[in-house]
Amino acid sequence: MKLTRRMTLAAFAGMLALGTAVPAYAADLIAIITPSHDNPFFKAEAVGAEAKAKELGYETLVLVHDDDANKQSELIDTAIGRGAKAIILDNAGADATVAAVQKAKDAGVPSFLIDREINATGVAVAQIVSNNYQGAQLGAQEFVKLMGEKGNFVELVGKESDTNAGIRSKGYHDVIDDYPDLKMVAQQSANWSQTEAYAKMESILQANPDIKGVISGNDTMAMGAYAALAAAGRKDVIVVGFDGSNDVRDSIASGGIKATVLQPAFAQAQMAVEQANDLIKNNKSPAEEKQLMDCVLIDGDNAAKLETFALTN
Amino acid sequence: MLNKLTWPIPAVPILAAMVGIGLTACKILPTPSEENGGNASAFNADKMVGDIWTAKVVAYLQQKAGPFPEVHALAKADPAAAGAKYGNPKKQANSPWTFAVRLEGKVVAANTQSRAATMDVDADGDGKADARVQIGPAMRGTALRDSLDFIQFNDFTNQIDFAQFGKAFNTYADKTVLSKLPREGLEGRSVRVVGAYAVGSGQDLPLVTPAEAEIGPKP
Repeated sequence: MKLTRRMTLAAFAGMLALGTAVPAYAADLIAIITPSHDNPFFKAEAVGAEAKAKELGYETLVLVHDDDANKQSELIDTAIGRGAKAIILDNAGADATVAAVQKAKDAGVPSFLIDREINATGVAVAQIVSNNYQGAQLGAQEFVKLMGEKGNFVELVGKESDTNAGIRSKGYHDVIDDYPDLKMVAQQSANWSQTEAYAKMESILQANPDIKGVISGNDTMAMGAYAALAAAGRKDVIVVGFDGSNDVRDSIASGGIKATVLQPAFAQAQMAVEQANDLIKNNKSPAEEKQLMDCVLIDGDNAAKLETFALTN
Repeated sequence: MLNKLTWPIPAVPILAAMVGIGLTACKILPTPSEENGGNASAFNADKMVGDIWTAKVVAYLQQKAGPFPEVHALAKADPAAAGAKYGNPKKQANSPWTFAVRLEGKVVAANTQSRAATMDVDADGDGKADARVQIGPAMRGTALRDSLDFIQFNDFTNQIDFAQFGKAFNTYADKTVLSKLPREGLEGRSVRVVGAYAVGSGQDLPLVTPAEAEIGPKP
């Protein structure tokens, strides 16, 4: 429903532009496709990209694929059909997305990927992703410190089809496994989901009451885990997340979750739009297709400066 | 490359250990990536690093590195100029600069309780620490990888391979150099390191990851 309304609005804005400004000329269109906005991270991407696109004089078409590769393929058809000049995409699968982006390329529509990589180069114009490994290392180093380099812990892993789930887990373990006194007693996927993390945490806690910490592949799972721990009277358990959401910021401020790692989602989406604009207006491609953006550790010291996946000064 | 180093104090056993690197590197040790074994691809980060370590990595750092006080002063005054001279110009746009450095000085403090052991080094003789050197076995960051202008993220299939490659530098440095360093009574000893550090955001000391390290005898 939201989608149709947005499209109608966009069309209406287009008509307005036609009526008031230059006749027979509509602003160029940029399609912004992300996973569901239920996760504030993806919403921040869409909001960031949309704001930058409008600032640069574009119309926008904001769509969500709900991590469904088939739906993503249809949305890319829609973007092509609507004559989009570029697609900003947080994709629905490292392998499944390659064909969809190729399809857009064949139709003359360049894609600018954010947040998640695909397993091919030369298909998208840009792949701007957070340095998830660097971020995971920051989170794990803080976790190790909070744990005093020893104790039992649990890892909650993200959705398996998403490269970022694997790379964060790898980043965590590349740090944590150097400490033999830190013992992982359970490792489960909660598919990035808060409710699933709550349920998993409940049962893990029953089987392993002697845990001292939980390291989570993202903030929504960290929120779910912390809620389950709090409900069981185990607020003493150290929880560390990943993403830098406002929810976790507030939890850190009130002494709940201990730390997270900020991915600059908002800035990343805006950077993708700037590069799209550069290609559309100046025919200039980014120097490198794959671009990494560093993450920042968020703890009690800087949590107050965090707002919608960006740090203020 | 050792003969290029001018060690100011009498020869020490550590030098002998350094010379031994080439031999010890041949010892076959089980590595974590082999144990995990999940990745079926032919990508072998540890072997790749081993293959380029002496001829390319150490040679590059030796040639590129500037004296730490000089690099650090320039980095504070003019990061772009420091980057052009000692950094990797092909770094990712929003990443901090990573500089190749040669650090000489005296150990003023050491933390060998943590597995991420470090020693704080006074490089300008004022008795205060100027840099923190990682001596493993646990090490932070990917400074060695990121200092090399011939290593590009675009040359790797994905972040995971790139990450494993970064970690492999630390593993190799630990295995061949750092694990051979003394751990006791480090304070007051002279130290000499060739390595790299990334410009940090926090108030901590610059964190240097060594590719070569020598520690002098107890004073």
